Amino acid sequence: MKAYETYLLDRAKVEGNHQLATYRRLGGYKALEKVLKGGLTPAQVVDEVKRSGLRGRGGAGFSTGMKWSFMPDVAKDPRPRYLAINADESEPGTCKDRVLMERDPHGLVEGSLIAAYAIQAKAVYIYVRGEYRLPHDRVAAAIQEARAAQLVGQHILGSDFSCEVFMHKGAGAYICGEETGLMESLEGKRGHPRQKPPFPAQSGLWNSPTTVNNVETVFNAPFIVERGAAWHAAIGTANSKGNFLCGISGHVNRPGVYELPFGVTAREILEDKAGGVWKGRQLKAWFPGGSSCALLKGADIDVVLDHDSLRARGSSLGTAAMIMMDDQTSMARVMEVIARFYEHESCGQCSQCREGTQWLSQIFHRIAHGRGQADDIDTLESLAKGMAPGKTICALSDAAAIPTLSAVRLFKDELIACIREQRDPLAAPAPKYATVGAH
Amino acid sequence: MVKITVNGRVVDADPTKPLIKACHDNDVDVPMYCYHPGLSPVGSCRICQVEVKQGEAPGRVVVACRTQPAEGMVVDTESPKAHATRRECLEFLLKNHPLDCPICDKAGECDLQDFTYEEGQAQGRSHEPRRPLEKRKSLGEVIVLDEERCILCSRCVRFFEEVPKKAQLTVSDLGSRSVISTFMDRPLSGNYQGNIADLCPVGALTLKKFRFQARVWNLVKMASTCVECSRGCSIQVETLRGSDVKRFRPRPNEQVNGWWMCDHGRFAFDHANAAGRLEGARMLEGTQLVQTPIEEALCAVRDALMGSKGGLVVLSPFCTVEEGRALRELAQRHQAEIAYVSPPPSALKDELLHTGDPCPNRRGLEELGIRGEAGETLTARLAAAKVGLIAGERVVELLGPERVRELPGTLALFAFECHPVASRALRAEVGIANHVERTGTVVNVDGIRGPLAAAKPAPRGVRALERHLQDLARLSPRRETAVR
Repeated sequence: MKAYETYLLDRAKVEGNHQLATYRRLGGYKALEKVLKGGLTPAQVVDEVKRSGLRGRGGAGFSTGMKWSFMPDVAKDPRPRYLAINADESEPGTCKDRVLMERDPHGLVEGSLIAAYAIQAKAVYIYVRGEYRLPHDRVAAAIQEARAAQLVGQHILGSDFSCEVFMHKGAGAYICGEETGLMESLEGKRGHPRQKPPFPAQSGLWNSPTTVNNVETVFNAPFIVERGAAWHAAIGTANSKGNFLCGISGHVNRPGVYELPFGVTAREILEDKAGGVWKGRQLKAWFPGGSSCALLKGADIDVVLDHDSLRARGSSLGTAAMIMMDDQTSMARVMEVIARFYEHESCGQCSQCREGTQWLSQIFHRIAHGRGQADDIDTLESLAKGMAPGKTICALSDAAAIPTLSAVRLFKDELIACIREQRDPLAAPAPKYATVGAH
Repeated sequence: MVKITVNGRVVDADPTKPLIKACHDNDVDVPMYCYHPGLSPVGSCRICQVEVKQGEAPGRVVVACRTQPAEGMVVDTESPKAHATRRECLEFLLKNHPLDCPICDKAGECDLQDFTYEEGQAQGRSHEPRRPLEKRKSLGEVIVLDEERCILCSRCVRFFEEVPKKAQLTVSDLGSRSVISTFMDRPLSGNYQGNIADLCPVGALTLKKFRFQARVWNLVKMASTCVECSRGCSIQVETLRGSDVKRFRPRPNEQVNGWWMCDHGRFAFDHANAAGRLEGARMLEGTQLVQTPIEEALCAVRDALMGSKGGLVVLSPFCTVEEGRALRELAQRHQAEIAYVSPPPSALKDELLHTGDPCPNRRGLEELGIRGEAGETLTARLAAAKVGLIAGERVVELLGPERVRELPGTLALFAFECHPVASRALRAEVGIANHVERTGTVVNVDGIRGPLAAAKPAPRGVRALERHLQDLARLSPRRETAVR
């Protein structure tokens, strides 16, 4: 087992780190002090993050420094500016932000403040998924402690920089994790994503310039500021820098959140960290980054984990939430569950997504329950192509179409067998109780 | 303005307006459900996809309602890619649509039906049952909602938010379970509810008053003007095969009413359809009113006016400019005085369209030099006169039917009315056509002229007031002769 330098989860492993005293003892808020007292300008912070090669950890993997630099010039645009932290972590398989918020809430607050300083925002909104009660409470308590210690609010650490941090609880809608849906929800409206352009940096929250960042993304900022862009850029592969949090779940012996540098192979994580596939079985298929990514076959497990190599395999790194499935898994059933999730979570604005997610879910349900029709596979394929890419306001439609297309491509024979035999050969025994609804 | 190319034609486009508007302005048909020129675009139905090329980049398919025209943009609405994308989108829209066109009031003027005929597949691919939802949900006194037919374009939601600026509808629940609803199922309120039935691109929102009344292809449609207030909204009068009026609908006119009209005007066709019309002419013989040839009644009017100096001609404010002019000439010829009835303002006045002034042609009559007076004043003046002529639709109603009935026998009262007149002073009455049976012009509060259309034939023996006045002029000697 190779050892790698870690930093993201180091403090999280210390008992009591969610409290300010422990956090400070472990070196917390040093980066904020360096920024505010060391005389770094916002432009210098943006530049530092740009050079570090940090990419967003919310799924799209866009350059963070670049995103910050899209905010309009403060001298020319008098509107207030906002930073929204996307903590509405609800992608199936993804649970990395939860660990950070529960065990290192001050790290998030510090990261948010540095990001807010860089984009010169006067307020930060942390939008937490409604079901995340402990993470919400821990971050809320951290903000209170920080405010008492003059780390949040007016004249932070005696500097000219003032910034408020607010918490906002979602109500359990996946679509509010989409950045424009999140902004609508924060404004008190239904979480219906907005058409882009205008992009949030031009017109976001309350028609003002806004940056929306993932929890893990801003969590990286203090380390970059403290240790320097060069240090960060030295870790990882050509286009994916630094360490990332990988949540591995499914049919593995030790599921969990692990910190690794970009460039490790999926096999290393599966075997060294997660203890291999459970019950001594073989890996049949896996999602590399949450259920919105294209499925990969078990044979692809030696792929290097970074944005480029997964794209080359026709999938994507997403939020690095790997879901592992063993050889006893029925793909018809997997896709039924996934399609039902997207049907349940579609906001219903766009025709393709509202009707398409339902349609996919109905077809996969029939296939998995022995009522498949001869034309189902063709229909699935053409529906998924009609739903993506870029045919709708947001990417939820794509998120339902991409795994569908990959399942049809990789596991066509299995699906056809389900249809031909009018039963699922790999079906698990029926559950003892009936499941109602999607949750 | 920027120059763009639409289907090979170079046209001017307003860069602040969506691309779909530039297409429509240049007679290029792009289907639309969520987009409406009078509402903000949301780009949710995705049916208006067209192919757009900018510079050297390969063509992309975009929604025309959320794309701004830019200089040099090349738009192809008919490219194979655009067609394919729209066809896919249409299939999704039809996935749960009940296709109950044979019993749907919208059939024949339904955007979804039209576009399906044009572009859709003959065969659906879905094996699933369609989404069962509520078929007849009352949304108050005006509107009934069929949730199954709804394609969730949200035009109705945006209408209440943006036009009367009082949000009443919303999309509730998520995804394929979404439905249009009011807060806590409260009934809709306000004077503008009917508009959402016009806005609805499918048959989800229908007017209770129009439900199962007519198949729309049997309706004869004529451009006309609403006469219920001085706004004079441009409307379309729709009669069932030229008989009863079934519907008034707003006609887009950005100068006057935009795309909307109020419910007060929309449902005012009961007047127009009312039975018990005054047909032909009746004259007093002894104590009885008896049917006489119209010519005779007109002669009686002429004789009475000629014999008296100082008669009084009272117009209804519903009289058109043409009728006003003819009546003014008649009054001048016989040195009679002239005025129109000006009823008090109504409580329906609002910020949007309704002016609260019930006189549709006040401005037109004032421009002719005719002044308005209250009903009480005019009946008092009539009571003091020897000869009185009251003319025009609803003139008795506006003067006060009680006061007209009690006019003294010393007055010789002549009437041109749609309905029989009850008055002790009445000597002769002649039936006239109402506002959906005659042509003419009314001038609205802002001085904009609106046409009235003869959308349906008048009852047997009933002619327009203008026609009677022409005959009367022919029957009258020239003024010089009369003076001599």
